[in-house]
Amino acid sequence: MSETSAKPVEGERRAFMTGNEAVCWAALAAGAEIMYGYPITPQNEIMHYWTRNVPKFGKRFLQTEDELSAGFTTVGGVLAGRRAFTATAGPGNVLMQEPLAMAEAMRIPTVVIIQQRGGPSTATVIYSQQEVTLTCFGGNGEGLRIVYSTSSHQELFDYTIKAFNTAWKYRFPTFVLADGYQAKMRESLTIYDPASRGISMVPTEPFLGRPGKIGEGRTAAHLRNTYNIEEELNAVLEKDIADYERYAPEIAEYDSSAPEDCDLLVVTHGVVFRSARMAVRDLTSQGKKIGYFRPITLRPFPEEQFRQAAARARQILVAESAYGQLLKIVQQNLYGSTVPIRTMLKPGVGITPEEITEECSAILAGKEA
Amino acid sequence: MGRAVKIAMAGEGGQGVQTIAQILTDAADFEGKEALYIPNFGVEQRGGVTIAFVQIGDEKIGAPKFKTADIVIALSGRAVRRTRMYAGPQTLFFYDSGIEGIEHDLPTNARQVLPIPALETANKTLNPRVFNILILGAVIGASRVVTIDKAQQAIEKRLAYKFEQNPELRELNFKALQAGIDLVAGMGVAI
Repeated sequence: MSETSAKPVEGERRAFMTGNEAVCWAALAAGAEIMYGYPITPQNEIMHYWTRNVPKFGKRFLQTEDELSAGFTTVGGVLAGRRAFTATAGPGNVLMQEPLAMAEAMRIPTVVIIQQRGGPSTATVIYSQQEVTLTCFGGNGEGLRIVYSTSSHQELFDYTIKAFNTAWKYRFPTFVLADGYQAKMRESLTIYDPASRGISMVPTEPFLGRPGKIGEGRTAAHLRNTYNIEEELNAVLEKDIADYERYAPEIAEYDSSAPEDCDLLVVTHGVVFRSARMAVRDLTSQGKKIGYFRPITLRPFPEEQFRQAAARARQILVAESAYGQLLKIVQQNLYGSTVPIRTMLKPGVGITPEEITEECSAILAGKEA
Repeated sequence: MGRAVKIAMAGEGGQGVQTIAQILTDAADFEGKEALYIPNFGVEQRGGVTIAFVQIGDEKIGAPKFKTADIVIALSGRAVRRTRMYAGPQTLFFYDSGIEGIEHDLPTNARQVLPIPALETANKTLNPRVFNILILGAVIGASRVVTIDKAQQAIEKRLAYKFEQNPELRELNFKALQAGIDLVAGMGVAI
């Protein structure tokens, strides 16, 4: 390993690149030390760009034999105190849930980038929003994770950096959830050194093999994913759940814009939000009273802010490239509300601004008739 | 330029459609414009129709894909059939005049459907290798989304390694770019 002190990104500069490249630059800028990975489209280029930069910046890369192993080695890297990450998609995301459930059990701050592709099974290598449930709630357990759903290359860059800090600050597995469109498309963004914007990286530390003697200056590192009795497990989970719920309001992020008398509130996440925002802009300029709400964190969900926005709306439209994965979260968070929910569920296929405009126009026309 | 210009380019794998989409959007980036380019991609590595969706404008681009293009360029029969769905009343639909048997596959709702002798021009007056750059010239001629200067700069960036080995290629590529612009200028069409 050739050590070098050169900063991967000095100050800031405009760039025009793919989303996978943006993720790689963000991980470099965040001071990530090692990536573990197994190839799967459409995330491959994250690995490619990372390995290309490994010798330049004294980083490391390990290609494993599958995604189970990539997940477990990422956990191992973090246990050793490394700012470590991995990336996957589709069937790879399915396989990775076992190690990530372990990360959840032991509060290991892993960072995982997901580039959603079509499902179920191999399906398409192209695009979907069908990995929401899987990424948010994962394997056996309670879904004690943090999931950022990005909608642009700037956000991919910003939130990949942020994911490392969120993970290491709160000690929950953290995910950046994007998709094949974001992975493969090229658009402009500003890449920067976090320090140049006053962002300091939360320091990492080893979980195991720490210096000093147990009982004399440090406690034992007691990391468990196995318990003998029910009550023992329950006590740990209750504490972790309480932590998660306490931190949730400060972690939750959203974006919303809606008039006071909102006839229709369009709820989307990820890349579909771009179409929703265009449709809302378009219809607003035609005098329609329409707005949008977009959760940036799908886990934890910005519950309070969403309930407030929904309370001011006459109707809600949920649009997603899946058959009701965001919808389920929306419904759960609206429990007790009587606002009608309309849906535009298109599993495995992109949604254009024109399609959302058309759907919204039809709904609004129905209301006016 | 108010709204973004939307361009769909399609051809057989190997015709260089994705390369010129990269060059075109690099050129737009050099101009300081906003651009978004997304290739369609599938599990096939060879032998499929390949489409590049490009948008160029003054503001951040919205969604990556669109329903109706301002310009479509189709370079094979299959590409014509795959891209006719992106034609609408505003669309200039270009196809290579050498493609046979597609009379009934051409869109009927486009603003104009325009055969261009791109392959023929490349073969006869230039070199088949620069066919895609000639197409790039045609797109720039019809859309005027980037200047020739920035397009040349972007070609230079993308093909520098080839120009190093053979400097004559630079001249050939720049000629092809101009030939494409001239072809469209001769037809008197622009968005």
